[in-house]
Order: sequence, then structure tokens, then C-alpha cells
Amino acid sequence: MRNLSSLKKEFLRKWIKGLRKYNSQKKNMNLLERKKAIKLSADLAMASTKDKTTLWRKALFANTSTKIDDEQDMSTTSSTPQKKVIRKNSTNSYPLRKRITGRRKILRRNHTKERVEASFIAMRLVKKRTRKLKSLLPGGKFMDDSCLVDETLDYIESLKAQVEVMRCLVTSSELFINQP
Amino acid sequence: MQPCSREMQSLNSLFNSSSSSSEIPIPQLQNHSQIQINNNNDAFHNDDFLKQMLSNLPPSSPWTLDPNNPKPLWDPNSDENVTFPNYEEQHNNLSSKFRNHQITDKSAAALMLLMPTAADSGLLHMPADFDSSQNDVVNASSAGDGSVQALFNGFSGSLHGVAANQTHHFQPPQGQSFGGGSVSATNQAPASGAPAQPRQKVRARRGQATDPHSIAERLRRERIAERMKALQELVPNANKTDKASMLDEIIDYVKFLQVQVKVLSMSRLGGAAAVAPLVADMSSEGVSDCVQTNGNGGVHPRNPKTASSSNESLTMTEHQVAKLMEEDMGSAMQYLQGKGLCLMPISLATAISTATCHTRNPLINAANNNVNNGNGNHVVASNGDGPSSPGMSVNSIVKDANSASKS
Repeated sequence: MRNLSSLKKEFLRKWIKGLRKYNSQKKNMNLLERKKAIKLSADLAMASTKDKTTLWRKALFANTSTKIDDEQDMSTTSSTPQKKVIRKNSTNSYPLRKRITGRRKILRRNHTKERVEASFIAMRLVKKRTRKLKSLLPGGKFMDDSCLVDETLDYIESLKAQVEVMRCLVTSSELFINQP
Repeated sequence: MQPCSREMQSLNSLFNSSSSSSEIPIPQLQNHSQIQINNNNDAFHNDDFLKQMLSNLPPSSPWTLDPNNPKPLWDPNSDENVTFPNYEEQHNNLSSKFRNHQITDKSAAALMLLMPTAADSGLLHMPADFDSSQNDVVNASSAGDGSVQALFNGFSGSLHGVAANQTHHFQPPQGQSFGGGSVSATNQAPASGAPAQPRQKVRARRGQATDPHSIAERLRRERIAERMKALQELVPNANKTDKASMLDEIIDYVKFLQVQVKVLSMSRLGGAAAVAPLVADMSSEGVSDCVQTNGNGGVHPRNPKTASSSNESLTMTEHQVAKLMEEDMGSAMQYLQGKGLCLMPISLATAISTATCHTRNPLINAANNNVNNGNGNHVVASNGDGPSSPGMSVNSIVKDANSASKS
């Protein structure tokens, strides 16, 4: 188990660095874009914490790279540093994706016969839920069962850290605003 | 004779020496008497004395209680030169088998111990068909010696654990088989994990197969189970025992955390004025798994056709709330109450969700609006259509509070 506070510190540091990049164009952005900027930098920060290259991190990088490409209207100076980070980290994810998607296609079969025994019902329930979990996790479609549990563990930890950091920041900034 | 007498003389002189140095002659005396024993004395203190023993054994002729093969458990001074004529080849076989089977030191030492101590009583007798037996039954002999019996119990237990294919066949000389303990313990050889000789057939444990597929399957299942246990500590309310409900909790928790992150990333922007597009965007991103229209800088309200029915109601609700909030907080509150919802601080919401274990879906769909008048962070707690809709949040406490306040 990773140390939660060190994770939080690292996340905070990287997030602030990302946010600073957007700082120059603060006035030009409308709220939606600002929210996207914040979320993006938070995603990047979360994905780049720690040396572990779990699957969801790679997928997160890939997703954020597409998001950045969509926002070409923003000035290029701010997005290029992020782009560089993303390009560096996402180059190795593509072959992984292709390999695993091929495997998934082979595994899918048409279940024509429905069985009524209790064990099969239980198995179906579990399968339904694992499918749901896979949809939740970034890059979850490409994971198998054992890998999935590992990834969710990791993902939950980082999400928790992220939430706590953000909340602290929000409350402290509120205090700062409301004070004078 | 002469060297002997000289030795004796030296001994005598040693004895006659002063008493102050009396300590010295004694070890010397012992050394003298055990000169021929001493060549392997250091073996006592080696960690791999067993290896030394095994390497010593083949060249030596019969398995004797010769001090040339010392053992820490033996009394090296014992002069019993009891020879067992059958032992040579069998012992060679045994030693080779030991080497093959990678027996731990403990069990092998136990075996070694067993043979001499039984040999002391002259009862142990290894049959000639030692090698050919293929079953994994160990019938240990005992002269009724209680210590030997206990030793065999431990020995068979450790043997059973270590090497699946021990094929020792200890036949009692008098046809007196050992008690049922060791036999029953070794009737089931462990199927997995042991470095088995490939040609021998391993009798499987009850309910478990021996082919590698099922072994791999079992390993995979165990790995998943232990990871789920680790997850149980992270996720709150995770005292469920079966896999499906555990997965449910995990899913809900992940959704909850994701929504919180999104809400918190929005909250810093401040201002209730432009909440509407944010809310619309957030609700579309948030819970549904079929809608993936993230990069859309969507100011327009989300297309309800794409969302599932439960999300649709949520979207519309949040739209309304956002619109109302722009104008006036009071009207927004009234609208919410009409729907059976209320606004609450986000800290309270999380506290409630973690405190109450009995709600099925403790997920709170949070719309965090940073109101300018410093009311703090608020959360819209929305009730879903019921427990059937997986993506919705069911906060029964809020519902009850609202109904109570209305009545």
C-alpha cells in the first residue's frame, strides 16, 4: 500500500504545475474551458504520479491527448508542454491496445443457451458487474479479471488522494476569498 | 604395542601433571581417545552436514554406526558397530532419492535419525524392493517405541508435505504395521506444487484435479481473491462476503469518487451564473456509460435521446436547478423541494453516505456550486427512480427529511 500523503503531495505539485501553464489565458477562457483545463491538468497529474505504469494511467494519457487535440483553439504555448508529456507517455500504449483488442474479439461468443442453475446465475451476475467496472475504469476494456482488480485498487487510491487534495484546496481558497 | 604404551605414558604424565592445569589434560585425553573420530568433527557444525553425510555414504561400505559418519544426535562415543547387511544398496538408493527429491534438511534428518535409533533396537529393516514400489504409502515400523512413533508421525507429515512421490516402503520385520496415523496422512499426496517426477502418477486430493489447467485456474482464482480482500479495506461498507455485492460496492464507490472529482474541479470556478453549461456537461460526462461525448464544448443541453432514461431525468433536473440558481437561490430551493430533493453541504453529504450502511446506493450525485454569498459548498442530493437504476443515487435519508419537513 502506498503512502497516501506522499501520493497527495506529488499530485498537488504536478497539478499546480499544470495549472500554472493555463494561468496566462485565465481571462480569455470561459468557465467551461476553465473547467476543462482544471480537469485536464488534474488528470495528467494523477496519471503521472508514481513510477508504476498501470494500465489505467496509460489509457488516461491517451484520453487526455485526444482531449488536448480537440482544444486546438487554445493557445499553443500552454498546451505544448502537456502535449509533450502525453506523447512521451502514450507512445507505448498503442501496441498494447491493439494486441488486447484482438484478443477480446476472439473471446466473445454468442450465448444462446441460458442456464438456470444457481452457479450460472451467480456467474452471470458477477460478469455483468465486472463489465460495468471495466466501463468505469479508464482503459478498462482491455483488462482481464485479475488485472482488473489490481487496477481498481490503484485507481481508487489515486482518486481518493485527488479528491482530498482538491477539497483541501477548495476550502482553503474559499477561506482566502472570504477573509478580506 | 609400543606406540600404545608411549601413548599411555604420555597420558600418565598428563595425569600426573599439576592440578592447576587439570583442565588441559582432559580435553587432550578426550582428543587422544577420539583421534580417529575427529576427522569429521567439524561436520557437526556445518550447516550442510547432511550433504556431507550423503557424500560420505556411498564410498563407505555398509551403513554402520561408525563414528566416521557422525551425527549431532548420535553419541559419538557409542561403539556399536551394528551392521545391517542389506543396507548398502538400499542406502545408496535412498541417498540418490533424497537428492532427487530435494528433501528439506529437517525431514531428511528425521529419516536419518529414525534409522539409527531404530537400528539401535535392531528392528528397522528396509526391504529389497525399496525402489520398485510405486505407491505413496508409508508404513512405518515401530517396536512400540513411543518416541519413534511420534517421530514417524512428524516425519510422515513433513515428508508428505515435501515430496509427493516418496516411495519408501518400510516394512516391519514382524509384520506389525504402524498405527493408522501415518498411513492415512500419506494416502493423499498433494497434487500441486511438489516437484514431482514426471513419470509417476500422483493420486489427487479430494475434489481437486491434477492437470495443469485447473491448477492455473486455481492459482488465478486465489490471486483474485486476495486482491479483493485488499480492496475490501479500501472501500467502505465492504463487509459483504460474496463477490457480486462486493463488486457492486466497488462500482458505486468508484462512481462516487469520480463524480466528486468532477464536481470539485468545477467548484473553483466560482459564480452561480454560468453553472448551467457546466452542470449539463457534467451530468453527461458523469454517470452514463454509453454517452461519451466529452470533448464537446457543449453549451446546449445534452441530447436526452443519447442518455438512458434515468440519466435523462437527472439531466433535466439539474438543468432546471442551474437555471433557477442563476436567478435566485430561493426559487431553486423551492423547485428542488417540489421534487423531493434538497441542498446540503458536501461535507455533510459525504459524512452521511459513509455513516449509513443500510442504503443500497450511497452514491451522491454532487453538483457543487460555489455560491458567492459564502454559503459554502452545497450538494444537490438527488433521488433516483429506485434501486433498479444503477447509476442513480438513492439517498433515503434526504428523502425522509424532505417528506418530514413537508408534513
